[in-house]
Amino acid sequence: MNNGKSRKRSAQAAEETPSPQPPQKHHAAMEEEDLDEDVFLEETLLQYEEDSAVLRELEESHALNERLQKWKRPPLSQAYVSHTQSISFQQLEIDYIIGDSHKELLPTSSGQAAILRIFGVTKEGNSVCCHVHGFEPYFYISCPPGMGPDDISRFHQVLEGRMRESNRNSNVTKFIRRIEVVQKRSIMYYQQHVSQPFLKIVVALPAMVTSCRGILDRGIQIEGLGMKSFLTYESNILFALRFMIDCNIVGGNWIEVPVGKYKKAAKNLSYCQLEFDCLYSDLISHSPEGEFSKMAPFRILSFDIECAGRKGHFPEPTQDPVIQVANLVTLQGQDQPLIRNVMTLKSCSPIVGVDVMSFDTEKEVLLAWRNLIREVDPDIIIGYNICNFDLPYLIRRAEVLGMAEFPVLGRIRNSRVRVKDATFSSRQHGTRESKEITIEGRVKFDLFQAVQRDYKLSSYSLNSVSAHFLNEQKEDVHHSIISDLQNGNSETRRRLAVYCLKDAYLPQRLLDKLMFIYNYVEMARVTGVPISFLLSRGQSIKVLSQLLRKAKQKNLVIPNAKQAGSEQGTFEGATVLEARTGFYEKPIATLDFASLYPSIMMAYNLCYCTLVTPEEVRKLNLPPECVNKTPSGETFVKSNLQKGILPEILEELLAARKRAKADLKEATDPRVKAVLDGRQLALKISANSVYGFTGATVGQLPCLEISSSVTSYGRQMIEHTKKLVEDKFTVLGGYEHNAEVIYGDTDSVMVQFSVPTVEEAMKLGREAADYISGTFIKPIRLEFEKIYYPYLLISKKRYAGLLWTNPDKHDKMDAKGIETVRRDNCLLVKNLVTECLYKILVDRDIPGAVQYVKNTIADLLLNRMDLSLLVITKGLTKTGDDYEVKAAHVELAERMRKRDAATAPGIGDRVPYVIIKAAKGAKAYEKSEDPIYVLENNIPIDAQYYLDNQISKPLLRIFEPILKNASKELLKGDHTRAISVPTPSNSGIMKFAKKQLTCIGCKIPLSGSDRTICNHCKGREAELYCRSVANVAELENLFGRLWTQCQECQGSLHQDVLCTSRDCPIFYRRKKAQKDMAEAKTQLDRWNF
Amino acid sequence: MVAMEVDSERKLVQRKQSLYQSLDESFGIQKEVYRGQQYSQIYFARLHLMRTLLYSLLPNWKPHLPVCTVLGLEEGKECIIVGTLYKHMKLKPSILDEYSKERSVSPLVQRHNFTHQDDNLVLEDESGRVKLNSCLLLPSTYVTGNIVALHGKETSAGEFLVEDVLEPGLPQQIERPIQLGEDKYVVFISGLSVGRSSSNPLQFQLFVDHITGHLGDEKEQNVAAQVVQVVIAGNSIEVPHGLLNGQNLGSKDQSKLFEPIKELDIMLTQIAASIPLDIMPGSSDPANFSLPQQPLHRCLFPGSSAYNTFRSCTNPHCFELENIRFLGTSGQNIDDLGKYSKANNNIEFMERTLRWRHLAPTAPNTLGCYPFTDRDPFYVETCPHVYFVGNQDKYESRLIKGSEGQMVMLICIPRFAETGVTVVLNIRNFECHMLSFATQIHS
Repeated sequence: MNNGKSRKRSAQAAEETPSPQPPQKHHAAMEEEDLDEDVFLEETLLQYEEDSAVLRELEESHALNERLQKWKRPPLSQAYVSHTQSISFQQLEIDYIIGDSHKELLPTSSGQAAILRIFGVTKEGNSVCCHVHGFEPYFYISCPPGMGPDDISRFHQVLEGRMRESNRNSNVTKFIRRIEVVQKRSIMYYQQHVSQPFLKIVVALPAMVTSCRGILDRGIQIEGLGMKSFLTYESNILFALRFMIDCNIVGGNWIEVPVGKYKKAAKNLSYCQLEFDCLYSDLISHSPEGEFSKMAPFRILSFDIECAGRKGHFPEPTQDPVIQVANLVTLQGQDQPLIRNVMTLKSCSPIVGVDVMSFDTEKEVLLAWRNLIREVDPDIIIGYNICNFDLPYLIRRAEVLGMAEFPVLGRIRNSRVRVKDATFSSRQHGTRESKEITIEGRVKFDLFQAVQRDYKLSSYSLNSVSAHFLNEQKEDVHHSIISDLQNGNSETRRRLAVYCLKDAYLPQRLLDKLMFIYNYVEMARVTGVPISFLLSRGQSIKVLSQLLRKAKQKNLVIPNAKQAGSEQGTFEGATVLEARTGFYEKPIATLDFASLYPSIMMAYNLCYCTLVTPEEVRKLNLPPECVNKTPSGETFVKSNLQKGILPEILEELLAARKRAKADLKEATDPRVKAVLDGRQLALKISANSVYGFTGATVGQLPCLEISSSVTSYGRQMIEHTKKLVEDKFTVLGGYEHNAEVIYGDTDSVMVQFSVPTVEEAMKLGREAADYISGTFIKPIRLEFEKIYYPYLLISKKRYAGLLWTNPDKHDKMDAKGIETVRRDNCLLVKNLVTECLYKILVDRDIPGAVQYVKNTIADLLLNRMDLSLLVITKGLTKTGDDYEVKAAHVELAERMRKRDAATAPGIGDRVPYVIIKAAKGAKAYEKSEDPIYVLENNIPIDAQYYLDNQISKPLLRIFEPILKNASKELLKGDHTRAISVPTPSNSGIMKFAKKQLTCIGCKIPLSGSDRTICNHCKGREAELYCRSVANVAELENLFGRLWTQCQECQGSLHQDVLCTSRDCPIFYRRKKAQKDMAEAKTQLDRWNF
Repeated sequence: MVAMEVDSERKLVQRKQSLYQSLDESFGIQKEVYRGQQYSQIYFARLHLMRTLLYSLLPNWKPHLPVCTVLGLEEGKECIIVGTLYKHMKLKPSILDEYSKERSVSPLVQRHNFTHQDDNLVLEDESGRVKLNSCLLLPSTYVTGNIVALHGKETSAGEFLVEDVLEPGLPQQIERPIQLGEDKYVVFISGLSVGRSSSNPLQFQLFVDHITGHLGDEKEQNVAAQVVQVVIAGNSIEVPHGLLNGQNLGSKDQSKLFEPIKELDIMLTQIAASIPLDIMPGSSDPANFSLPQQPLHRCLFPGSSAYNTFRSCTNPHCFELENIRFLGTSGQNIDDLGKYSKANNNIEFMERTLRWRHLAPTAPNTLGCYPFTDRDPFYVETCPHVYFVGNQDKYESRLIKGSEGQMVMLICIPRFAETGVTVVLNIRNFECHMLSFATQIHS
């Protein structure tokens, strides 16, 4: 490769400058706008030799050599070395690069071409980099009628000219390689003819597809035809995906290159053990079955960094050094990590089982980490929030330190990682800003993003996520303490290292526990997209990939019909049947439609290619028995005329899911089970996302005719079911009671058969499901799944009940739409709601629930509530000035900064606060206060605020269907009369107050020699003493249990607990216990007379 | 000290006296305050004390082996390490679960024992932790907080393969006085539970009458007169739960609270009038929760506390009688070992605590304990002659002998309210037997 010669990229990327500058803004990455961006091989390479003095020094050290032995991948077997074995590997990442075309493999072509790179691992654990040559980017346009071969060559010339005009900076000799006439058919609308001519336009480089599409969209002057604009087909497919589709490669599958078909690379460009060139037509892609459904032993690196921030500031890469990096390398499928190490700045005491590597300068730390990456050669890099914090921080930091050699983290020699800002936005997940970091050949998997994507939680801090899934609290060291630990001695740095290691360990545990590798690889295999797409892109690329694959088989092409982001009219969504709210004490049977929307699409053959436009309906005059007219008024042909490809995709997905589930039952090996379970889950999700794809108005190929037809059928079926149930299950029909449908959701109907036992309701539920299923077109099926008994229906989408799937014992308590996980509620609300539901549903004790509410409210008003239950937490995303409206947590952060800048929350931190009593007329945002400050200064809580703004609404929602006058009964009764407000110790008046001992019994000021109780209370001495001592006893018990728990979490008995995790349920309790204990002890000591 | 006339007309039976010295000082918490200190300090103090001790034993155990810290371990190198054990327990209840977990449908079953076969031990010193791998060191025997010396080596997996264990063993004992010429009895009783609905006042009265010599013939009275000390080892009162955390009590509730205390005071007055009496607080008494529990307040006993024979003591309690050293607790230390480890009987637990030279190794981990900063009062410096534990299921006793000729009488005192059994020890010959006052005898 011609080294050092820098070339400009194609025009549309010309303003992009190569790396070392700060990352560029790039906001175009909306999910419907995937553009190929050609990366020129030579540009990314460093121009000087990498070895700096530091590195040489490092490599000379004996310790490092020893480590390298441990870090390296297993050596290549002789068969690989001698090229006598075909190479079979599981690919994880596919990208492409622009380079010179391969002279040996492609003797006829010359100049620059796109070279695909497939990175993967063999089953022996050897890393593979496969350069694939000969695959060319292309797209289609429909061929204007009457175009002969001459017209085409003229057209070619005109287009070539236009391309040259708009890509002036490019020195490509030929933009349009060739134009072929092919026989294809558009996927849109039912057509009677089998095919028509299309032009396949093959261009030189992938990015030219977009450029060429633009020209054709705008219109082109063609001799004899005049100005003509063209609708392009399949012009919005990323090149790597195009390649995968055409070669039948799905994400994460096994690829084989037979002996003799690959050529060892002339010069190793990558750090991979096996690097070779081959032709795309020689690849053998194995479908993930049998032996090829297994996982290769990938190397997974989990890491975490610590930075020493300045007091009062969140660490910034421009100023604050990276002080530690903890790493854990695990082979896929193994329980124990292969490598465990931590790299520290300055000395650090040893840690058992961990390789501690200490360095004197930050540069050495960073270099050591880069070396680790290079030698360990991880296939997957994981961590918590690495994409938005750790990786950008490291890269930016290296830049600040002037370490040009640092960001060579990918698998390509001398090639730097590329960083850019990206906005990811999708209907499902909203808009998120992120950094897009390209590490060539390695998959990044940020557990933070994955968990955020796949699970709904109230908090996504690593602490609460691991508490939720792993049942493990994590010690949380505030970043202001980190600098202190770093500046201490090797012991305190060891402390920090242990903490850092834990942060590197937890993502690995989460990865294992949540089976992310299996689930994501299976999802990639099912939908056919590369694994990296799954995290960085939305749902629609997955459906599009399947659609393209299917269309290819059917010789169909997909138009690039951009709706320019317009709302193409809205359609009626899924309605629900009116909810007959109330508390049902008889079993309620739930009839569910199994995969309702996919079934409807299959049953009625709804597809792009079966849709008949209104004009066509008139023109074609199709016989009524060949078409379905949907309730929303659209016409689709039946499958005897044309089988839809969406239904076909769905059928395959569901059939595959059935197979996977059947295999899952048979399987015994836990790893095989994991694969199969991941697969059936991926299949289910994929089947359900097809409907969404057709309805996404800003998506790739929206077709509201399909989606509105689906929902209208859905509505019709729910209504139909209701009617059938209520007509058939009547006293007149020979049943004991009249059945009543009390509620119907998108795909389920709740029926009260009025029978007293779960068993009878189950029997009737099954009967109803079978009977009604018989009236539907296959494969639409109504299933009986579960009984709710008792059942509290609050309103539509809000209900709770005990769920039974067998008549002997209920499975669990199920609640939907009831505030149990809302983030901006305090814990009190969650606990109260859960406890009430439990009492109502499980204990069947409504008076008990009412009493519980009353007691809780009384406790709140009497200031007996545990503070941690009242803490509300919000994330601080920008500083106060940037917020338009004053917000409680922002104001508080500002106030805390004035008190002590060191511990005040910074941007990115979560701010916990409580609402305190303030002067009359104070604004809500002025009433927020730091819980710790409240504890320390005895500041009164605004109980009324909590009563009115936090707990009243959810409570009334639950109790209104049960109780008459719920609001009066619960919120205004006797229990709200007594109110107790503590005197704050920091208020103005207290400064003038004189402290005087008061009688423990009656609080009367003591005079004379009395120190404990007044003469009047002498008779109650024993009672009062017992009370004091009981209070102490209770606190002692709490104190002991809380503080030993924290010792347990931090994993050390001999060191003080430092943790300041405000997410931890016992953090405030622990603080409070400590303070209360001291007070109670002082009180008790007064008895020592 | 106090002579008593039993029958003035006939013969005067003189109550025997004995020399008593309280050694409770170290269990007192006077100047100590909660100042934000944590539990790391007591562990540190314990490790420091015990390590010094264990180091002094090493020359007689394995003098040829080097001593390492956890950090100084090198793979494959045989050495000795000393540290605090930590037991990972799968079933150990956590306060976090109480607060953070949603209510599960099936209520949690209260367990009596939290050990599990997957439990494993870790050794920790100030420098770090190492996982232990051993068939010698049974996780079911040891608990968090034990300090031991281990001989072994680090394996390639980073574990420490234990080859031998050294426990502190019985502490040195002050020489037992030359045998007394006459019988003198100490009576132990625990778990009176006055105020419990099921407790039988008659039983207690019988006991009082018996030891004060108001019952039986002359022979029995003569025996009663030889009782020189009564020790009440905790749980004398049971205050109905929930009476104490509300508002001011109504007069009815006040009496409910008062009655048992008053009742107890009356009985104790009867005893104290004739025999020296030590009363220790227990888990159900109106005392603080954490060990060491401080003496029950005198204001609870207006009657009996007027006598100088009435001594309100700490729990644990240590004293010398005729130069014989007694050490005992109201049972919390043994009960807690019973929850977090396993033994064939409670005597075995008692024996272990002596061999570990630590009364309550599970404190503070699972047993409430004051966060001491510079000492560990539960460290057993001197071997007692008699070691008793109150509030056990049944009476058990055993005489154990140490390697240096130490002899200790171990006594489990049953709960009186349930069994009607008290324990009598003859300090002349260390003969120990139970004395039953069960009023209802079930066949």
